[in-house]
Amino acid sequence: MYRLLGRGEISAIHGAAMEVLERVGVVIQHDKALKTLKEAGATVDMKTKVAKIPEYLLQDTLQKSPRRHRMLARNPKHNFVIGDGGSVFTNAFGAHYTIDLETGERRLSTIKDLEEFTLLADYFPTVDYIKPNILPQDVPKAVWEQEMALAMFKSAEKHLSLVALTPDGWRDVIEMGKIYAGGEEEFIKNPAIIDTGFNNVPPLMYTKEIIDMILECAKYGIPFDISTGALASASGPVTLAGTIVQGIAENHAIVVLTQLVGPGTPVMWGSCATILDQRFGTAAYGSPENGLIHAAFCQMAHYYGIPYYGAAGVIDSKVPDQQAAYENTINALLATVSGADVVHDAVYGIVEAGVTASYEMFAISNDICGAIKRIGKGMRVTPETLAVDLIEQVGHEKNHLNTPEALKFTKKHLMEEQWQPWISNRTSRPEWEKQGSKDIAQVAKEKVKEILSTHKIEPLPKGMEASMRKIIKKRAKASS
Amino acid sequence: MTPSIFEELETAVIEGDSEKSEEAAKKALESNTPPLEAITNGLAKGVKTVGDRFSKGEVFLVELIMAGDAMKAGMSVLLPVIKASKAEVETLGKVLLGTVQGDIHSIGKDIVATLLEAEGFEVINIGEDVASETFVDKVKEHNPDILGLSSLLTATMPMQQDVIEKLKAAGLDGKVKVIIGGAPTTQEWADEIEADGYAGDAVSAVDLVKRLTK
Repeated sequence: MYRLLGRGEISAIHGAAMEVLERVGVVIQHDKALKTLKEAGATVDMKTKVAKIPEYLLQDTLQKSPRRHRMLARNPKHNFVIGDGGSVFTNAFGAHYTIDLETGERRLSTIKDLEEFTLLADYFPTVDYIKPNILPQDVPKAVWEQEMALAMFKSAEKHLSLVALTPDGWRDVIEMGKIYAGGEEEFIKNPAIIDTGFNNVPPLMYTKEIIDMILECAKYGIPFDISTGALASASGPVTLAGTIVQGIAENHAIVVLTQLVGPGTPVMWGSCATILDQRFGTAAYGSPENGLIHAAFCQMAHYYGIPYYGAAGVIDSKVPDQQAAYENTINALLATVSGADVVHDAVYGIVEAGVTASYEMFAISNDICGAIKRIGKGMRVTPETLAVDLIEQVGHEKNHLNTPEALKFTKKHLMEEQWQPWISNRTSRPEWEKQGSKDIAQVAKEKVKEILSTHKIEPLPKGMEASMRKIIKKRAKASS
Repeated sequence: MTPSIFEELETAVIEGDSEKSEEAAKKALESNTPPLEAITNGLAKGVKTVGDRFSKGEVFLVELIMAGDAMKAGMSVLLPVIKASKAEVETLGKVLLGTVQGDIHSIGKDIVATLLEAEGFEVINIGEDVASETFVDKVKEHNPDILGLSSLLTATMPMQQDVIEKLKAAGLDGKVKVIIGGAPTTQEWADEIEADGYAGDAVSAVDLVKRLTK
């Protein structure tokens, strides 16, 4: 719907990014990966760990990077395709703190919060697949990723994206994923039952640990997103175009490496880049520049024929207030109308830019994203929807509420044409007052409590949790 | 009225003009201004002004960093003379800063360093991906009042604990106060690993260091 860049601009950005990739290169602190790149034609300095990647190598590997792929869920009705032209939404990632639903106090996040946010994400129609909304602080760090994976496996039927923080932890999570898939063989056939995501260290650098985990994904063909985290005016140029150029080089290095090691591994080419607020030295995610960055990256990803994954919708406000709502709206909307294949961080159950989870915000954002998805669907223009015959039938004297043909027509098309908000208020004022004159945060709180006590999901097959527990126990023992 | 040499130094820093700062410092030496006074009443005053304004959100980070660089440029002219006369620059205290092993993020830590320098602390920034043993060695070498450990990755947070344990093993606990920071860290984590303090952003890090060095 929205195209920020013209053809000439896309071509200029591409040319600049190729220069950076070929002339400046990307640091990859992983000797085995460097060797792979070198053998394929990159110019590699094993001492400085810089890999300079020629354009032909990129073009070769782009051919192997899927334009679209199917993500799988425990309940197949939640399977979906990334890269089919529509935008799928995820919830937020990684809060250390949570605003307690009962007391309203800000406290450390728990594994129970992760289970509850995952259950809510399973319920919310706007969430197409689920990210770990919470990084629980009441779990030993040695088995952090594993405990989080188990909590999520138990709490949803939708596709789950799991967190990869350390190579050991991620290997354990893959083993748990095999159990979840119904065995090793099943998992090898269908690795898209899980996915994960990685960031670089801007400017132009990847650590050994990240590369280790990426190679593990490439080995199995597990889908993942690679998202540049450049901050314009700090770890990237202040100019948005310059940050795009740098981010392209950063992301492409991983596309090349992944497709060399595991051809066909689904890579979502992403960004959680934004600007640094020069007044406070903070990353500003709810900024309009963030939306522009997504719009540009999305066009560039599609120019390269790969799906775009944008972390758009992040909120800087510290509470679920007016600022929070507009920040969530502007960037999730801009990413959607720009054609982002995945709008990550869209249904944003967090405030304070990834730090503090808010149940109320999650419910409010579910409504915001419902509205955005409706906009994304656009308008159906067909002979039927143009409704000339009906307009004639209703004529000048009647209307669409007192003409049988019109009533039938409305009933037929209503659900398709009109989005129904969940907690946004559109009643008359007397009705609103009768309901207690509540603002949206109050309603959100009540609804969340209701969903948490009523939404039920299919439990994991018998014995599955125990098998996963064995992996966790083994790691806990090894690390103690 | 021509500005005094102190005003000239101060302005050069406020404008973030390293060349001007160097020239003014040379001029100060030529006119026999005591170099320590040139710092206190000129360079440091300028950087303090910019630092205060930054804390209020009135100037941009880029201006703060350029002011810090301009101060250093002026200092590079004055310091050899001060050292030759065996005098010492008075600071509010000495702070050693680094990012822990396995983590190569620098920006947050560098902002803290610049703000601390603006406030009048001596800062030794030993960079990123610093091994715990190196932190211990550097503490022995520089004897700082404060050691700041930065970690942006959840996966490298345990290294903050590792440094604190190694300091204890080396008998250095109590000799240096350890503070931690970085996006995934919390006050609770600081308590758990027995750090002396935690700050969630650069401005509160400066307040914390001031409190701990009082």
